[in-house]
Amino acid sequence: MEGRWKRGRGVAASWYGIARTATIDRAGAWAELDDGGTAKVVTGVTEIGEGILTVLAQIAADELGVRPEDVTIGDNDTARSPEAAHAGATRQTYMIGNAVALACREARGRLDAVLAEIWGVEAAVIEAFNGEVWARGTNKRMTMREAVDSCKRRGVVPVGAGHFTAHGTGLDPVDGSGAPWQAYVFGAQVAEVEVDTLTGEVQVLGMWAVHDVGRAINPRGVEGQIEGGIVQGLGQALMEDYQTVDGQPVTHGFAKYILPTSLDIPQINCRLVEDPDPKSPLGAKGIGEPALVPTAPAIMNAIHDAIGVRITSLPATPERILAGLAALRAKAIAAAE
Amino acid sequence: MLDDRITLTVNGRRVTRPVGANYRLLDFLREELMLTGSKEGCGAGECGTCSVFVDGRLVKSCLMPTLKAEGASIQTVEGLAPRGELTPVQRAFHRTGASQCGYCIPGMVMAATAALRANPEAGIEEIKERLGGNICRCTGYTKIFEAVEIARDVIAGRLPAAALEAEETAGSFIGASVRRIDAPAKVSGALRYAGDTVMPGMLHMAVLRSPHAHARILGIDTAAAAALPGVECVVTAADVPGKDGFGVFVHDQPVMARDRVRYVGEAVAAVAADSVETARHAAALIAVGYAPLPGVFDPAEAMRPGAPVLHDYAPDNLVKHIPIRKGDVAAGFAAADLVIEETFATQQVEHAYLEPEAGLAWVDHDGVVTVLSPSQNITHHRHMLADILALPVNKVRFIMSPVGGGFGGKEDMIYQGMLALAAIRTGRPVRLVFTREESVTSTAKRHPARISYRMGLTREGRITAVSFEMLSDGGAYGMSTEGVMRKAAILSLGPYAIPNLQIDTRGVYTNNTPSGAFRTFGAMQSQFATESMMDIAAGRLGLDPFEIRRRNMMRAGDTTHTGQRLDSCSIGTVLAVAEEFSRWEQGPPAVRGAGRGDTGGPDTRARCTLGARFRSGPAADRQEVA
Repeated sequence: MEGRWKRGRGVAASWYGIARTATIDRAGAWAELDDGGTAKVVTGVTEIGEGILTVLAQIAADELGVRPEDVTIGDNDTARSPEAAHAGATRQTYMIGNAVALACREARGRLDAVLAEIWGVEAAVIEAFNGEVWARGTNKRMTMREAVDSCKRRGVVPVGAGHFTAHGTGLDPVDGSGAPWQAYVFGAQVAEVEVDTLTGEVQVLGMWAVHDVGRAINPRGVEGQIEGGIVQGLGQALMEDYQTVDGQPVTHGFAKYILPTSLDIPQINCRLVEDPDPKSPLGAKGIGEPALVPTAPAIMNAIHDAIGVRITSLPATPERILAGLAALRAKAIAAAE
Repeated sequence: MLDDRITLTVNGRRVTRPVGANYRLLDFLREELMLTGSKEGCGAGECGTCSVFVDGRLVKSCLMPTLKAEGASIQTVEGLAPRGELTPVQRAFHRTGASQCGYCIPGMVMAATAALRANPEAGIEEIKERLGGNICRCTGYTKIFEAVEIARDVIAGRLPAAALEAEETAGSFIGASVRRIDAPAKVSGALRYAGDTVMPGMLHMAVLRSPHAHARILGIDTAAAAALPGVECVVTAADVPGKDGFGVFVHDQPVMARDRVRYVGEAVAAVAADSVETARHAAALIAVGYAPLPGVFDPAEAMRPGAPVLHDYAPDNLVKHIPIRKGDVAAGFAAADLVIEETFATQQVEHAYLEPEAGLAWVDHDGVVTVLSPSQNITHHRHMLADILALPVNKVRFIMSPVGGGFGGKEDMIYQGMLALAAIRTGRPVRLVFTREESVTSTAKRHPARISYRMGLTREGRITAVSFEMLSDGGAYGMSTEGVMRKAAILSLGPYAIPNLQIDTRGVYTNNTPSGAFRTFGAMQSQFATESMMDIAAGRLGLDPFEIRRRNMMRAGDTTHTGQRLDSCSIGTVLAVAEEFSRWEQGPPAVRGAGRGDTGGPDTRARCTLGARFRSGPAADRQEVA
C-alpha cells in the first residue's frame, strides 16, 4: 500500500511591488504626546486584520519614547482624520507607518526643544524610551508624564503632522516602460506534498517560506501574514473554485465553495530576510500580498516531482490529478506498444 | 410577530423574553440580548463563527431555533470569563497573535475551549480535528494551534502562567513581537463590526437582486412593497440625484441597475423597513419587468465581433489592455536552443472573508451623509458618493469600521450608495447586512486567467526571450480590472533578467460575476505560469530548480521588465536562504519523488488521517468505546 502515497517537493520564487502601482502614493498622519505620558495618533487607517494598529503603535512608541499600550489610535473617518488613502496594495506599513513616524518626529521635536531649554542641553542629546526621557551624557532624566507636563506649562502642546510619498511613475502606453514602484520585495517558497494516487487527494505537509520584508516591525505579525497567505494560496491551488453556468453562480455558499480548514494545514516554516528600503525613514517594506504569490506554483511543482503530472489549470482537484495519472499510464502503454 | 415567551439562562443570568417563532438562537443572542460576540458568518452551520455552549455542548447557534432553547443554559464568548478578565485560552490567543481580522475568533475560542473541556490532554491532531468545524480565512490556523497547545499546557500546569504573558522588550519596540493591541477585544467578543452596530430608530435594508445575467429592465413596480406596513422607503436607480457610477478605475457601475442588468445578483432595488423580515418580504413584492438579452460568458467570445456588448463606451468589451515590450523578441527566440510553449488557466476565487458586507448610514445634524462600513477605501468612496448624491465632498463622511477580512474584496463601493439614499429618504439610520449567499454571488472575485506562454532558453538555462499573453474575465463591471491587468503584466515574468520580452494582459467584460481586487492583484495568476515554466525548463535542461532560477535572477543594477533600474535586489539571498532552510536536495525536477532524501523531515506534519479524537480520548472514554 505504501506505493499509493507519493511525496514530492517543489520551489517557486516571486517578487512584488510595495504600495500603489504606477502612480504617486501618499499618506498623512497626526501625532500628539498627550497627558500622562500617553500618545495619540490619528490617520486614515483601521485594522483589516493585518496588524497595522499594533505596527503603528510600535512605530509611534519608538519614535515618541512611550510604550505601545500608551498609544491611542484614532478611528479612520474621512471627517476626523487625515487621508492615508486605502487599505490594500501592501502599502499600510510602508506608507502609513512612515507617515506616522514623521508625524511623531515632529511632535518629539517640539517636546525636545522645550526640554533642551529646561535642561540647558542640545536637543540632539535628548533620548526617550518606554516612558522615560533623558539627556545623553548627563544625569537629567524625567518621566514622559513629567516631560509633557513641563512642556504644557510653558505653553507648548507637543503635536506633529507628517506625510509620506512614494514616487511611482505611470507606464508608457506603447512599450509599458516605467518605474511603477520605489520598493520591491522578493520571496521563495518550498512545498512538500503527498499525493494519494488512489483518490487523487493532495496533502501539503510542509512549506518553507523565505521573504524579504525590508525591516520586520513585528516578526510574529509578519509570520502570521505569511501563514495566512500560504493557506489562501493552498486553497486556490487545491480546492477553491467559484463557478457559474451561463452566469448563474453554482457555488454560492461554504457547502459548495470549499475552503481550507484546520485539517488542511501544512507545517509552515518561516524565515525573514531584511534588506532595508533605503528610500524611507523606517526601512520596512511589506508582506501582505507577496506572501501568497509563490504558494500555488510551489505546490504544483511539488506535485510534478511526486507523480510526474504537470497541473497547468488550477485547482489541482482529485479529479484532475487522477486524469493526469491516467494520461501518464496511457502514454506509458502506448510507448510500450 | 413576537408570539412566544421563552425563559433560559444566558451566561449565568435568567432571561425571560418574547421571541418570534422564526428567531434562531443566534438572532436572539445578538438582537435581543445584544451579545454580538457570536457572529453570523454563513447562516448554514458551515463556518462556526456563531458557536456557543448550550447545556455545555458546543452548538452552532445559527442552526438552533430559539424556542428549542427553553430552559437551557447558554454560554457565549462574553460569558467565558468575568468581565474584564480573559480565560487561559483567550490569553493564549492574545499571546500568539492568533487573531487577525478577528471575525472568526469568538467562535474559534469557543471551539478551542470545547476541545480542551472534552479532552484536557488533547494532542495537536485531535485539536485540529476539534477545530475542523470553524473556518478562519486570515491566519492560516498556525498561530491558533500554537495558542490552544499553550493554553492546554498552562491549564495542566506543565507551563507557567507566564507563558501567557507578553515577551520582554528591550531597547526598541521595532523588531519586537509586541502583542496585538486589538486582540483582547477580539478574543472576548467585545469588538463591534458594522453589522454589530445599532442606532436608535434604525431601519433594516433588504436588496432585490437580478435573477438574469443580461436583461433590459422594462419597469419596476414598487407600489406593493411600499404599501407594506413597516416599510419606510423603496429606492431604485430613479432616486439617484447625481452622477450615478462607481468603480475603482472606471465608474461604470450604477448604485442599482439602471435600465439594464448585467449579472446575476446585481442590485435592482432596495427596501428600508422596521425589521429585516419586513424588508425582505417587501423586496419580494417588487415587480420587475425584464426582457432577457443574449449574454456572453466567455472572455474570448466577448472579444469577437458581433458579441453582445455590455457597456456602450467599450464596443469591443475590452476593459483594459496592458502591453510591455523590451528588446527584440524574434531575435531572442532565434538565439534560443530550447523553446517551450504551454498554456495555463486559473479559476475565479471568492474572498470568503468571514464578515459578510455590512453597513450603517445616517444623516447627521449638519446634514452630513455618513456611512459606517468595512470599506477598504473610504477616501475614494467619499469622492464617488459625493458625485452620486450631488453633494460637496465635505457633506459626505465615511467611517471605516473594523474589517472582518477584506483581501481586496471590500474595495468596491457596492452597497454604501443604497444605504445613503435610504438614509436621506427616511431621515433615519439604515443598516444592511449581507447574507453569505449575497456576499458570494454579488461581489467581486479573483480574476480567472488564461495564459499563453512561450519561453526561449540557451542550453545553459539562460532565458533569451519570453512572449506572455493573458486573458482575464472581468465580469460585468470594471471594478479593479484595469489595475489588476497592469500589476499582472508588470510582475508577470518574475524576478528574472530577461533581455527580450513581449507581455500583453487583457481584461474583458462578460455577464459573469465581476472580478476585482484580490490579494496580489493579478500577480499570483501570472507568476504561477512563470514559476511553472521555470520548472518545466529545468526538467528539459536537467537543471536543479534553484539553479535555473539563480542563473536568471535579477541583480542590483539590472533593469526590470518595464526598464526600471534596481538599486538593490534580494532574490539571490532569498533563494540561498530558502535552499538551506528547506534542506533542499539538489537535482533536476525529473519526478525524483521517492528517490529524494529530504522529505518527511521534522519540519513537516504527518499525513492527516481522521479519527484522532477517538484514538486519543480520555481513558474513561476509551474503555466505553472498547
